[in-house]
Amino acid sequence: MKKFLESRFLRLLVLVLGIFATSDLALAQTHYILTNDDLAYPFLTGVGFFTVGTNGLPVFKQQVHTGTFGIGGGYFGMNRLAVLDSGTQQCVFASEALNGFIAGIDVSTLTVGGTTTGSSTDSGTANGIGLVMNGSYLYASFSSSNTIGTFAVQPGCSLTFIGDTSVIGLQAGIINGMAIHGSMLVTSYTDGSIESFNISGGTPVSNGDEQISTATVNSADATYVNAIDITKDGHYAIFGDTSTALSVEVSDISSGKLARTTVYKSTASINSSNIILSPDETILYVVNTQGATVSALFFNKSTGKLSAGCTSGPLAGLSQNWSYLAGITLMSQTGNGGGVYVAEFGTVSGIATVPLSLSGQKCSLQEATGSPTIDPNTPGVLSIGSFPPRSF
Amino acid sequence: MRGMSRWLLAMAVCGFPFLKPAAQDCPARPNSGTVVADPFSISSQNGAITAQFTLGHSVDSAGYTHYCYKYRAPTQVVEAPTLRVNPGDVINLNVVDQIVADNSMKMDMAPPPGPPCGDGGAATINSTNVHFHGMNVPPVCHQDDVINTLIQPGSPGFQFNVHVPTTQPPGLYWYHPHVHGFTEFQVNGGAAGAIVVNGMEKVRPEVAGLTERVFVIRQQYLVPWIPGPYQLTLNYQTSFLAQFPVIDMKPGEKQFWRVANATLQDFLELQVQVNGVAVPLEMIALDGYPLAQTRNQNTILVPPAGRAEFIVQAPTSGSAIFVTNAYSTGPTGNADLATTLATIKTTNTAASSHMPESAPPTADGVKFLNFALQPATTQRKLYFSEEFGGTNGPIQFYITVDGQKQKVFEPNEQPVITTKVGAIEDWTIENRALETHAFHIHQIHFRVLEVDGKPAPNTDLRDTIEIPFWEGKGPYHSVKLRMDFSDPTTAGTFLFHCHILLHEDLGMMHKILVTP
Repeated sequence: MKKFLESRFLRLLVLVLGIFATSDLALAQTHYILTNDDLAYPFLTGVGFFTVGTNGLPVFKQQVHTGTFGIGGGYFGMNRLAVLDSGTQQCVFASEALNGFIAGIDVSTLTVGGTTTGSSTDSGTANGIGLVMNGSYLYASFSSSNTIGTFAVQPGCSLTFIGDTSVIGLQAGIINGMAIHGSMLVTSYTDGSIESFNISGGTPVSNGDEQISTATVNSADATYVNAIDITKDGHYAIFGDTSTALSVEVSDISSGKLARTTVYKSTASINSSNIILSPDETILYVVNTQGATVSALFFNKSTGKLSAGCTSGPLAGLSQNWSYLAGITLMSQTGNGGGVYVAEFGTVSGIATVPLSLSGQKCSLQEATGSPTIDPNTPGVLSIGSFPPRSF
Repeated sequence: MRGMSRWLLAMAVCGFPFLKPAAQDCPARPNSGTVVADPFSISSQNGAITAQFTLGHSVDSAGYTHYCYKYRAPTQVVEAPTLRVNPGDVINLNVVDQIVADNSMKMDMAPPPGPPCGDGGAATINSTNVHFHGMNVPPVCHQDDVINTLIQPGSPGFQFNVHVPTTQPPGLYWYHPHVHGFTEFQVNGGAAGAIVVNGMEKVRPEVAGLTERVFVIRQQYLVPWIPGPYQLTLNYQTSFLAQFPVIDMKPGEKQFWRVANATLQDFLELQVQVNGVAVPLEMIALDGYPLAQTRNQNTILVPPAGRAEFIVQAPTSGSAIFVTNAYSTGPTGNADLATTLATIKTTNTAASSHMPESAPPTADGVKFLNFALQPATTQRKLYFSEEFGGTNGPIQFYITVDGQKQKVFEPNEQPVITTKVGAIEDWTIENRALETHAFHIHQIHFRVLEVDGKPAPNTDLRDTIEIPFWEGKGPYHSVKLRMDFSDPTTAGTFLFHCHILLHEDLGMMHKILVTP
């Protein structure tokens, strides 16, 4: 009997724990692909949540209305989504550029926790509002006012505005890409300038290293930095360039300041405005914004050097459905990422699925059968993201 | 370029001060749904045209900014008259800039690099000059120089003395402002008119005795650099709802139409449709140059700045429509929409207007006639390319000589191509952008040798040609063009560029130097 009871108790315990574990696990492991729908007035915008089908393709789940309006376009390198997975809360923050709102969505309930604005002069109506965050602060780059707003993260996926920092490129450029690592925030400007800030106190303070990137200097302004990523150890900042070629730059930031960038250039495709490092930092994925392709470059995280990898064929639907490739996110948050999801901006916006195949030092990227997945709610997808996010 | 981006941004941020109410300087434009009149013509007398144009500026009740070349005709002030000349004539044109400077608009471009021609100073939205598009005249001050010529508001004016060559092909040309950075504004406002070099009937007798019509198709945006709704106008007449401009023809009548594409960026795919079916058009000339043989086409593609001259036959009864079809300029190009340009009504009372008597042909023949038979002395490759940092920019537009650095045009740049009088060159021009471009070179015509690497079906002489967008896969579209610099009057520095005017203003343009 005792044995039976023990056995029943243990079974029950296992069952209860199992249910708990399963539900918790299920919640934690729900993999969402996210879109900032950026719908312009008079259409209320929102964030699209897609689950991942068994074939790896995104499957539309629902759109969470954020109650405001986007602008239907803007800079490629600005990520209009920031994802928080802190253990205490799971949130997706989305910028809504027409009104300057930043909305926080609770991932567990897919409801809006709060919307916040910056100062009365903060504005991103021209080309959008970019977002990056750590566990404590969210930074918003406002493209019209050329300011970085600092917001403290609050419970319930809400934010509190702390203050503004005015910024400008050395040739009067507008803030574009941002990336964050530890106490460093790195920014790019539309004139080819790059700059880093110390954010240990919350509000960004320039590190005094603003400079024109090497590619911009070498090309006499014919190339300029756009999106940014930073290695897990904070040793290197990587910049995707707007260019008529594939152009990527790497800066050593281990000193706490930006060093002069090294340029990696290839004629494999056109424009490289968006980039993302794989979780294991062996692959740098590049969106060839105007080349209609995606490239994968091999990255050596010890040396910061890039080497040639592979480029996909043209993704389906150019011209008929979409005009530009834009944001990028990983198919998997482990290993080499397994490939990428890419935002397609156009009259019929969607998400392309481009898996990576790797064999030694040879790779291939090929758009998945059935790709792209049409986003039913917007023609303006520029920014996409993943929940849970990459760990760095 | 970067400055230009800032300037555009500042404009976007600060608003559009030029949209503020302006003095109503320009003549009233025709009402929608009325019969289309030809532009007023000024014909040369005793080998010369002597006229004064005054550039004015208005904003109409719908908010469209007008720029107008005003000419005082005997009974009224008219807008952008047609200049009719014979080969060998001189156009003595005095141009006065009467735009009232708007001090809220202080943006400007650097002064021209060379010795000033005209008033000098910085180029602003209120400065002007004139390009005689397609005319094979020297690129020098007082003729067809647009690099150094500036006319400023309030100055006494500037005198052009354009010597039309005796070998100038008979056909349709046009004139328009060409101040770097600001061309789009004034052309968007309508500052453009036709030039007819007489004598087409001597070369293409098919047109002798026909009623001649001159149609200038313009395009107006509310704000020219922002993609959005636009209007196409036919001799300044817009369509409003179903009220289209009306072209009167006698039933079954043949007319000789001379059509200039004076739009900012619209690739016109022209058709005349009867009961919804395109009817054959008898092509006579392209870009002012008579075709070697006429040919029938149902559709005529005319890129921005191009001209087409053709014979149209009216239906024997009922009506027809003159349309431009929708034309895809590529994923990053602006949409060119299908538009009804006019309704063609048949009536026995339609007016006739024959071409004026032209001067006897000269013994010099027609320029460029046989140069394609000569071997090319030089081969060059150029390409169009673009880069976008976002959907709204920043955007860079390049035309690059292969092997050189990509750069946008700067007024003080050195020529990217140097050649010499006597050179015959083959230029292959690729389009590596996701947008169709229109290549134009000043001072000369070129012969189209190849399209996409294959012999061109029609080796026409042109001064502007479309190169379709890249589809994202396969080879780039290209044209191979034969350039003739054999005429000593081509000596000097002049321009080649994309004739989508926003692209030109943003630097998709460079200089060529032809040494004597």
